[in-house]
Amino acid sequence: MNAMNYAFLCAAPPPPNGLKTAVIGSGPAGLSAAGWLACAGYEVHVYDKLPKAGGLLVFGIPGFRVPARRIDDAAQKLTNDYGVRFHFCTKICTQDKVCESGDEFVQEMVSLSELLHEFAAVLICTGSWRSRKLNIPGENLPGVYTSLEFLFPLRACKLAQTRIAAPQVEGKNVVVIGAGLSAVDVVQSSLRLGARRITMLYRRTMDEAPAGRMEIKLLRQRGVHWVERATPLRIHGGEQVQKLVYSQANDPEKKEMDVDFVISAIGEVPTNPFPRELRIEDVGQEDSKWLQMTKFDGVFVAGDVLTGPSKIGRAILSGLKAAESLDGWIKAHRLDHARESTAGQEESHG
Amino acid sequence: MAENKKTLYIDYNLCIGCESCEAVCGYLYGHPRIHMTRTSDGITVPISCHHCANPACLKACNVNAFYQDDEGAVILDPKACVGCMVCLSVCPFAAISHSRSGPYPVAKCDLCAERRAKGMLPACVEICPCGAILYGSPEDIEAELRQRVAEGIVQAHMHPERFGAEVGLRAMKKSLSVEGFAVDPASRSEFDAER
Repeated sequence: MNAMNYAFLCAAPPPPNGLKTAVIGSGPAGLSAAGWLACAGYEVHVYDKLPKAGGLLVFGIPGFRVPARRIDDAAQKLTNDYGVRFHFCTKICTQDKVCESGDEFVQEMVSLSELLHEFAAVLICTGSWRSRKLNIPGENLPGVYTSLEFLFPLRACKLAQTRIAAPQVEGKNVVVIGAGLSAVDVVQSSLRLGARRITMLYRRTMDEAPAGRMEIKLLRQRGVHWVERATPLRIHGGEQVQKLVYSQANDPEKKEMDVDFVISAIGEVPTNPFPRELRIEDVGQEDSKWLQMTKFDGVFVAGDVLTGPSKIGRAILSGLKAAESLDGWIKAHRLDHARESTAGQEESHG
Repeated sequence: MAENKKTLYIDYNLCIGCESCEAVCGYLYGHPRIHMTRTSDGITVPISCHHCANPACLKACNVNAFYQDDEGAVILDPKACVGCMVCLSVCPFAAISHSRSGPYPVAKCDLCAERRAKGMLPACVEICPCGAILYGSPEDIEAELRQRVAEGIVQAHMHPERFGAEVGLRAMKKSLSVEGFAVDPASRSEFDAER
């Protein structure tokens, strides 16, 4: 009934200010920043490695939580009403080959220096697209997934032009390791896909589950088995994963479980597109006058790539603040520039 | 009730607790007026003013600092407020906030009065990724909610395998109906025993 609008800060598109900015990544941080900048009159170009806007909002979080259509419409509104230009299937990178979920779609590569040449400023909102690994033997067996490796194809396979296949968990035994929101999303997706038996394995107790007691209780109501204070030790198998070995609490006895799928949902790590050139950990450490600006002038950063995996709302706030800071920097920079050139002129006259 | 009454309604069946509403509210007003609150069971829900037709805060206020605007929004005049907090104690939704950082001691949702004056919607409504925050006339909100329930009932009938025997009842609870309920008697016994 009320459509989503990332350019919620202005009543109508403002007159253009003649400046161009680039946003890398179209997740919640990138889209909010694009909306902020569009409301300030910028010509905004948004780059994304995927064929659709939304980032993890669309490709990570299942559609029954966040309706993909609503995000799609909101991105469309940015384009139609505010002239925001999306460049999909385009990855911004350096010569370093970085692999993470979603790279299957990349058709074009653009370098940061090309962007800096074309745009007054650049905002990096590349999120957290690599999942943390279990670091146990057998982790590379077929049938062992990270939460993103599992969830991403479920959404991506719906795009007509792809050859990505969704994991076939129907009638299978699924073990999910972790008890955060992405673990819950994996379990719920598996339930919908008709998995035979689903077990959640968590290193602490239900009270400490990051997703909250209630989510776990609801899943147990739906027949999910819950094993707490458990540590996965080894995964056995040949062609396909077969057994998961784990220990529980202080019990010295090792336990085994028959499995067809092991999905580890133990968190994601930020995906910095320029790991060699840019240490995102350093942002905000030095006394930079400009909030969320990196050591490169005019390159800003926002969202999960800066803060680590967080909530959608925090990414939005981070995107808005970075856009505001970027706008301040551009204005100050142009003022300095104008002053310098007038000073130069005076000198030459003298 | 104001003739052109409009109000905010949070559909908790669709809310995923993502904090987007609180984030934009805080960005706009310095201190958010919609509050994400975590229950003892670990579910996070936004708490905000319901803009009641018969507001308890308005009646209880010692200095008559509350009024209803021509769209029925319950507004606190911060200049008149003395910060006694009696409004918070009578509010059934604990929707009034004490603001230590702001210029005035008490703040509450005014349905983005400044934005509405420019023909814009409340910001939280526009940023919610789930469509869980509705804004409109009570009739519009009622129609939208009824629509959502109807969708749930139809889905439940189309996919009985997901919903089991408890179709009608489950469909009324949209979160469950959208989700589906894998009702397998064997797997439920564990849970029932726990209860």
